[in-house]
Amino acid sequence: MSGHRDEHLELCAGMALGALGEEDRRILERHLAEGCPDCEAALADFSASVVALATSAPVVEPSAALRARVLEAVSREPAGGGEKAAGSASIESRPTLRMPARRPNWSTWTWAAAAAALAIVSALQWNAAERLRVDLEGQRRQLTEAERRLAEERRWVEVLSAPQARVADLQITPAGAQALKARAVYDPRSRSAVLVFENFAAPQGKDYQLWALRPDGVASLGLIKSDAAGHATLRLENVGDPESLGGFAVSLEPAGGSPNPNAPTGPVVMAGKFAS
Amino acid sequence: MSQQERDQHCLRRVGAGDSSALAELYDRYGSLIYSVALRILRSSADAEDAVQQAWVQVWRSAGTYDSRRGTVAAWLLTLGRTRALDLYRSLGSRRRAETRIEAAPVSAPSDPATDTARGQLGSRVREALDTLTPQQRQVLEIAYFEGLSQSEIAQRLQAPLGTVKSWTRQGLTRLKGLLPEEEWA
Repeated sequence: MSGHRDEHLELCAGMALGALGEEDRRILERHLAEGCPDCEAALADFSASVVALATSAPVVEPSAALRARVLEAVSREPAGGGEKAAGSASIESRPTLRMPARRPNWSTWTWAAAAAALAIVSALQWNAAERLRVDLEGQRRQLTEAERRLAEERRWVEVLSAPQARVADLQITPAGAQALKARAVYDPRSRSAVLVFENFAAPQGKDYQLWALRPDGVASLGLIKSDAAGHATLRLENVGDPESLGGFAVSLEPAGGSPNPNAPTGPVVMAGKFAS
Repeated sequence: MSQQERDQHCLRRVGAGDSSALAELYDRYGSLIYSVALRILRSSADAEDAVQQAWVQVWRSAGTYDSRRGTVAAWLLTLGRTRALDLYRSLGSRRRAETRIEAAPVSAPSDPATDTARGQLGSRVREALDTLTPQQRQVLEIAYFEGLSQSEIAQRLQAPLGTVKSWTRQGLTRLKGLLPEEEWA
């Protein structure tokens, strides 16, 4: 038994949300199969949270016709449901066929060999078909992923080109290095923002952190992780509502970000408000 | 008898081929599942297709429900969401991009008391979501309503996978205890 670890609880949260990757799912399934009351309790708790999350979707009553359609569709299905939980079938209840015992003869062996050969051929064909199916499935997934990325890119282009978009050019404060450059484009309709940073390679043991400026203070929007050339692009959703979001600021923090989640602890190196 | 016990009893009857038990579950959770499907698919016709497939699956696989993994409500929602996400992926981005958010037809609520309770619960949950950090909220909403895995979310948000996992756990923990015990748990 692998033993319960705190990471398992994180996997439980991911599983309840239906967002675990394949490898993580296998790890948690194996752990659950060994029996873990802590994880079972956590799964039940997180599942309840996910039901709560589902209720955040705007309530829309389906038409009465849909109820009739569902019941009609079900009435065409075989009664009682086809799938059962693993282990629910009773072996004792299966009918058995009793054959008189007899010694196998040559004819029996011949038929057995033919049947075995047939089984091997069938298995090979099945394997080939299965490989083909897996390949096809892989291609389909790649295509879906490519389409998703394209749609995603289009969505962010819409943010950048939205007629109502607001722009904030962040200015270097006295505490900031002269090479820093940053610009933010915010679409009030979708409440999304795209921020581009140049020369943002953080010094050793430090991280740049982005903040939203609001009338009642600031809110962290996460760390700015640049590439080797110091370039970073952040695409953020739910940045804040147009009435309260005044602009953005960047601080230089210890690695991992400000110890205080509600305010910078390091120097603010850039700040900018939306042009009115 | 708690709601979960009543739901489990209903599900056992569904497994035994009792379609009136399925109708009972539909009347209780139909609008919630439909609302989630509509939020994912943004088209009432597609949401109806996904919901129909989900309930047929409930009928076929009632026996596979495992109460150790969550409530009947959570299981039904999982089936509904999965069918909606499957359809979302199979429709392709082109059609989705052309799809406008419809003013979905709203029929008269069959049970105003339940509807009000659902609406109030939704408001409480939205208020709780407002208390999350933007990242925690984003992770929950992207995962649940867009169907992205945690590693895909990490890529999209340019955050380490471990951080996305922590945000998920913290976010769901903040939503704990919002469901009234009597009705849902």
